[in-house]
Amino acid sequence: MDQVGSLLDRPRFYYNIDGMAELGGSVTCLGYALLLWLQTHSSANSVWHRISIFAFVGLMLVIHYGTKAIKTHITYPRTGFVEYRKRYRRLTTIIAGALAALVPVGLVIGSRRHWDITTPASLMGLVFAAAYAYQIARPVRWKWVVVWAMTLGSLVIAFLPADVLGALANDSSAAHPVRAKLAGTILLYLTIYGTILLISGGISLWLYVRHTQAPAREDQ
Amino acid sequence: MNQRIRTIADLDRVIHEPGRLMIVALLFAVDGSDFLYLQHETGMNKGTLSSHLSRLEEAGYVEVSKTYRGKVPQTLLCLTSAGRKAFEQYRRKLKEAL
Repeated sequence: MDQVGSLLDRPRFYYNIDGMAELGGSVTCLGYALLLWLQTHSSANSVWHRISIFAFVGLMLVIHYGTKAIKTHITYPRTGFVEYRKRYRRLTTIIAGALAALVPVGLVIGSRRHWDITTPASLMGLVFAAAYAYQIARPVRWKWVVVWAMTLGSLVIAFLPADVLGALANDSSAAHPVRAKLAGTILLYLTIYGTILLISGGISLWLYVRHTQAPAREDQ
Repeated sequence: MNQRIRTIADLDRVIHEPGRLMIVALLFAVDGSDFLYLQHETGMNKGTLSSHLSRLEEAGYVEVSKTYRGKVPQTLLCLTSAGRKAFEQYRRKLKEAL
């Protein structure tokens, strides 16, 4: 029965066979990190503070159409096309959207209530690493290195001195020390996780392209 | 013990064959896929996969449609509702038997 269960999981793992799930995640993280950096290093009435929603929509469009283009031109001709179940697709979209929206919402709430964000942020990082391990790293042994890198990154950020985190976002728009610390923590998280996912996704895509070939046309 | 043996004897023979079980399980988890995906995931050659798919199509468990992706012909496969029910029933019976 376990073998049947593992077969049922195969299509889910197949989505990241080319590293596209990780590359999509890295674009989200690095895109938000860039936006946050621009916001914290510009004046309060600058244009960067007014385009959050457009940036969110833009990032989602880039990820959606970018993934589709790569899948259509690289993945489907090599290892085949899969139409995922609508219910699963909807659930994935909702989870990805909620996670992507959580960052700016958390930033706003945290800054208004003056939370000490370090501990919840480190927990969030560990949850993210666990989710990555379950969803992506299980079938690919070398990706456990990525899980450990994420875990280590979370712990390092959690133990970094507040001054260091605050200094990352220390500017006019984040003048309050608590707000600066919060923005610095999230900025560091997004940058580290985005970079890790970019490297891991890039290696996956490279390995995929290297080890798979589109079959001759008559084989289809 | 007799009940167990009876349950095993009742298993759907079309699905119980390992190659076809792989195909049905893979298709159960998705809305559909192409021939190439099944070939990649099962590791079967084209002839073996085709013969299993024909058997499943005869049983009314799989629907096969031919289409084009650009200029490349593509064979799309999906599990019919009868196929889904049969697989669910097969899993239930197998759980009972084990």
